[in-house]
Amino acid sequence: MNTMTLYVEKDSPVHRLDPLVKLLYVFASIALTYILPEPLFIAGVLFVTLLLLVIGKVFRNSLPILTLSMFLIFSLVIVQGFFHPDNVTELFSIGPLVFYEEGLYVALVLVLRVLVMIGSFSVLILTTSPDEMVERLIKKGMSPRIGHVILSVLQLIPQMRATTSKITDAQRSRGMETEGSMLTRIKAFFPLMGPVVLNSLNETKERSIALEMRGFGSSTKKTFLNEEKQYPYNKLLAGIIIAIVILGIVWRVMV
Amino acid sequence: MSIIEVENLKYRYPDLTDLVLDDLSFSVEKGECLGIVGENTAGKSTLCYALAGLIPHFYKGAYGGKVTVNGLVVREHEIAEIVENIGLVFENPFSQMTGAKKTVYEEVAFGLENLGLDRKEMHRRIEQYLKLLDVFGLKDKNPFDLSGGQMQRVAIASVLAMEPDVLILDEPTSQLDPQGSREVFEVIEQLTEKGMTIILVEHKMEQIAQYADRVLLLHQGRQVALDTPEKIFSRPDLKGFGVTPPVVTNISKALNVRYPDSELFPVTIEAFKRLEEAK
Repeated sequence: MNTMTLYVEKDSPVHRLDPLVKLLYVFASIALTYILPEPLFIAGVLFVTLLLLVIGKVFRNSLPILTLSMFLIFSLVIVQGFFHPDNVTELFSIGPLVFYEEGLYVALVLVLRVLVMIGSFSVLILTTSPDEMVERLIKKGMSPRIGHVILSVLQLIPQMRATTSKITDAQRSRGMETEGSMLTRIKAFFPLMGPVVLNSLNETKERSIALEMRGFGSSTKKTFLNEEKQYPYNKLLAGIIIAIVILGIVWRVMV
Repeated sequence: MSIIEVENLKYRYPDLTDLVLDDLSFSVEKGECLGIVGENTAGKSTLCYALAGLIPHFYKGAYGGKVTVNGLVVREHEIAEIVENIGLVFENPFSQMTGAKKTVYEEVAFGLENLGLDRKEMHRRIEQYLKLLDVFGLKDKNPFDLSGGQMQRVAIASVLAMEPDVLILDEPTSQLDPQGSREVFEVIEQLTEKGMTIILVEHKMEQIAQYADRVLLLHQGRQVALDTPEKIFSRPDLKGFGVTPPVVTNISKALNVRYPDSELFPVTIEAFKRLEEAK
């Protein structure tokens, strides 16, 4: 069964961490890159993030996500290096275009920040099952309706994709051209949309009836099938993360 | 004792001008299996929605009359309160899966979590109904990986686990292959034997004839008749309402095999055999 999730099921200390602590780490690590925008410091945060990916046995799984960001990273280096308004010190030139040291510095901070963002989100997404995450958030007060939307989207979009494929096959079997030039594909796209959209609308209505009949609209306090997972050192870890952020703010103000 | 009472029920969908349910009045006894038959657009599914409280709470529109289930007037209670009294299973098994649960076990738990049951009671009910529906062996599978028949049995288990007093089955086999249909009807047979109150909407008249104690014949939203399967399927004007009697009834009519001193024809093969043997 296909689901739209990047979660990698493994047994590691990072997998066993509370999803909320990991979420806190995402926000804290990103916040720190703004509180202390020094390349060396951000590199330190990035190092911790990459270490978490390694400990979580998902470093290799994070590489495709990091690779996808390469286009953005190159763009940042080129734009800042050549065109940053504070550019003064020339590093090298390509024809009439001059690459500057100040721009490179700014680009370095931005690139490291982007890598921290992608890395810390990877820690969260690759080591946390969506069910665990949503259940934890609902227990902390998030609306069960929002939780249901998040979880159902992960499973239902692949189902919709399968339906689309079936409808395409049905149309193809009746002689419709669905492959070939761009024009042929565009022509095939519009007749496909009608049945896909109508089918989805119908299923959405039916599914909402089914949910109603399963007491989804009940105002009774919801209970959970799965026992609340115990996360060791939960408060300690959260405390350390918050303390580091506070220290960062104090450092920024004092120095 | 009546578990469902319908009094002068009228209903019109918001975007339509004609009544879809037009002055229906009947009652269903505890432990009874009521079959509902009629052509498409007769109002069968709409009646199911009205019994389950989806009308007027989910579908708005013009509503008149009164529906009482287990003493609850559905108009005056939220669906969440009604679902503990009446459960609804409909034709498409796929769209009855919540889409938010990764295993069959968790799928059945969904409704119980919403009812706020404690964990011990949830496990008890889930295991009981998965076993009753013969899908316990699939408990760790993803619901979307099941066949249509298996999925429909999980849908029924999910509704039954909420332990309603009445189960409505609205064409539960219309999208299933013969094997899937057989699996679902085996469950219906089991439930009727256990004395569960069932409302069954079905186009397969053989199944209605086999399981229903009484049959409600609808036509264009109006109640034509409410009687035993023999009386309904022996009506000479039945085809005029878009309903074809079971094949065995047609054969009996052709062979003039009927109950002694009556105008009624058998509606099941077993009854046909008994009458033939008695000749």
